[in-house]
Amino acid sequence: MKIILKLQDNYDLQANLFSFVIHFGLFIFMLASIQWQMKDVYYSEVELWDAMPMQVKAQPVANKKKSADIKKLTPKAIEKQKQLKINEDAEIKLKKKRKAEKKAKIKKIQKQALKQEKIEQLQKKLLEQEKIEQLQKKLLEQEKLEEIQKKLLEQEKIDKLKESILDQDVKKNARIAVEADQELFAGSNTGELNKFKAMIQQKIYQNVNKQLCGLDLVELEFEIQLMPTGELLGEPKLTQSSKIESCDQALERAILQSQPLPVPKDAKLFSKLKILTLKFSPNAYTE
Amino acid sequence: MIFNMKIMLNYIHRFIFFVTLITLSLSSNSIEVIEILGGKASQIPIAITPFNEEIRTMGEVPDKKNAFREKMHEVIANDLERSGLFTSLDTSGISTIPDSDILINFSNWSALQAQFLVVGKIITIQNRLITRWSLIDIYKEKTVLSMEFSGSKKQYRGIAHKISDLIYKKLTGSPGVFHTRITFVKKKSQKNYSLYVADYDGFNQRAIVNSSQPILSARWSPDGKKIAYVSFEKKKPVIYVQDLTTGKRVLVANFKGNNSAPAWSPDSKKLAIVLTYSANSQIYIINSDGSGIKQLMRTRSINTEPAWSPDGKEIFFSSDRGGNPQIYKVNVDGVSDVNRVTFEGKSNLSPSLSPDGKLLLFLTQDNGKFRVAVQNLLSNQVLKLTKGPHDESPVFSPNGHMVLFTYKDYGKTTKIGTVSINGLKVTPLRVGSEAIQESSWGPITSN
Repeated sequence: MKIILKLQDNYDLQANLFSFVIHFGLFIFMLASIQWQMKDVYYSEVELWDAMPMQVKAQPVANKKKSADIKKLTPKAIEKQKQLKINEDAEIKLKKKRKAEKKAKIKKIQKQALKQEKIEQLQKKLLEQEKIEQLQKKLLEQEKLEEIQKKLLEQEKIDKLKESILDQDVKKNARIAVEADQELFAGSNTGELNKFKAMIQQKIYQNVNKQLCGLDLVELEFEIQLMPTGELLGEPKLTQSSKIESCDQALERAILQSQPLPVPKDAKLFSKLKILTLKFSPNAYTE
Repeated sequence: MIFNMKIMLNYIHRFIFFVTLITLSLSSNSIEVIEILGGKASQIPIAITPFNEEIRTMGEVPDKKNAFREKMHEVIANDLERSGLFTSLDTSGISTIPDSDILINFSNWSALQAQFLVVGKIITIQNRLITRWSLIDIYKEKTVLSMEFSGSKKQYRGIAHKISDLIYKKLTGSPGVFHTRITFVKKKSQKNYSLYVADYDGFNQRAIVNSSQPILSARWSPDGKKIAYVSFEKKKPVIYVQDLTTGKRVLVANFKGNNSAPAWSPDSKKLAIVLTYSANSQIYIINSDGSGIKQLMRTRSINTEPAWSPDGKEIFFSSDRGGNPQIYKVNVDGVSDVNRVTFEGKSNLSPSLSPDGKLLLFLTQDNGKFRVAVQNLLSNQVLKLTKGPHDESPVFSPNGHMVLFTYKDYGKTTKIGTVSINGLKVTPLRVGSEAIQESSWGPITSN
């Protein structure tokens, strides 16, 4: 009660409180509006590279060496067999020498066992070799497949590039400055907006007669206001002169001649194209 | 307590004001920008109406009606078309042609795609001819120029050229050259050569030199008072300078060997000439009265066809120092390095500079054909203006927007014609049935 009474008397405080409330309200509204404007930028970069294929080169080199060893060993074994046969003959002839016989037999058995072992080992190794080779083949095939896939991907990339180059060709002589505005229009119909900007740019470009602008790299700027019919509202406003009167006038005529300009029927989209800045650089080297 | 609150509120107030400013400046970015790079070389559509003719007799037999209507219309339309910057629209479909800038039916003319309209009226009184005319902007629906010219009836071409000049100046920003004169050589027989002076469109010709020997390389002095030319009168080429008002001539160069290719300095005081004094062709500089000769530079290669840059500081010339003829430049003092200027084509020769010094005009050899070409000295882009195959001696119009050159069709005699600097308009000059060659273009003079 006291506070209310105090307030009733104190106009200064009243005014301050009122102003504070209003400002607080405005501040909240502003925060909301800033947040509404601060939407994430959408990036459309696409990385087309696939994972790199596995490296499998070290193994086959080692195996090849081993297989060469095997080939070297085989003739040696045959020779040893032959020698053993000769020993057997000698044993029949020299039956009296049992010790020698026994020794020879033991030797034979030992050697045969050894041989057997070696052969088995070799067989195993050969099998392994085969398996490894099969694996290698599979890996090679895999690699090939991956390469083909890669090539296909690259082709796609090239096709896309070509498309984009073609696109650029269409817009060759007038790139649209959208970077600055992308932030503001992210989330809205940017593609549609750019389409109309490109159409306007193309239509005006057709009427730009650069011959009246000398040879220097002059730049000029007009501001125009459009009606929903695509006709100009008022005259084009020259905001930056080329300092060549005939050039300024020629480009003004180019704008006037381009009426009606292509504008969207959608009122919201049109509102963004209602006021336009047109930047000309008639002598820019476009080839 | 209240005091503190006041201070706080003050701060909040300031803060809010500041933030609002920032938000406002951010939102002002939302004006869409469209960038338009480059442009086309197109022609301005202009509707030139035949001027209505009114004859005011003063006790005499009236002239044949409409004696000047078509003639003047033709002169103005041809002038503007020849520049390559305009296309003259056919106005015969318009039922009522206005003769002044009031009561113009703009929708009629915009339907014709006209950007500009020329209307006027011719009044003849006895021997005098008065023309009242207007240039009208169709897009802006307003009169750009409105003038009255008068003169004798004989001067009707001059009056029409003057109208063309003013329209040209207004719409292109450059002076028109429709009131200038040219020279050319007529070869009437093997032993009959004449140097002629005529209007730029070939009308009003008169011979200023007659000779039994060839006449070559006639060049107007930039002040328009004299003509330098090469004559074979001395059984070899020598250089004369002839005063156009008095008709007197001075033998400027008669040195041992050949004397050829005179080129006036921009101040009309000196000539760059070519002598074979020391075996092969070399460039020398001499005063226009024949005094003070000095060699530009000494090289073993051939240096010929000198041309001055408009600032008078450099000389462009053709030389075979690289094997085939190409165009090079050097400072007038001859001390600096020689720089090659042309790089496209097998060979390039006969250089000359536009009045602004930004374009180089020359002959280029292209698959055995000689064609007229211009090179933008800022971008080094080359534009071939003519088809050839036997084009020669190209010279700029004094505004640099047109080129006068000699051409020859297969099995025919040489002729001269103009080509616009954008290459869009080639116009033959009908100055006679004889062989016409060695043309040159005079300067823009005040009269």
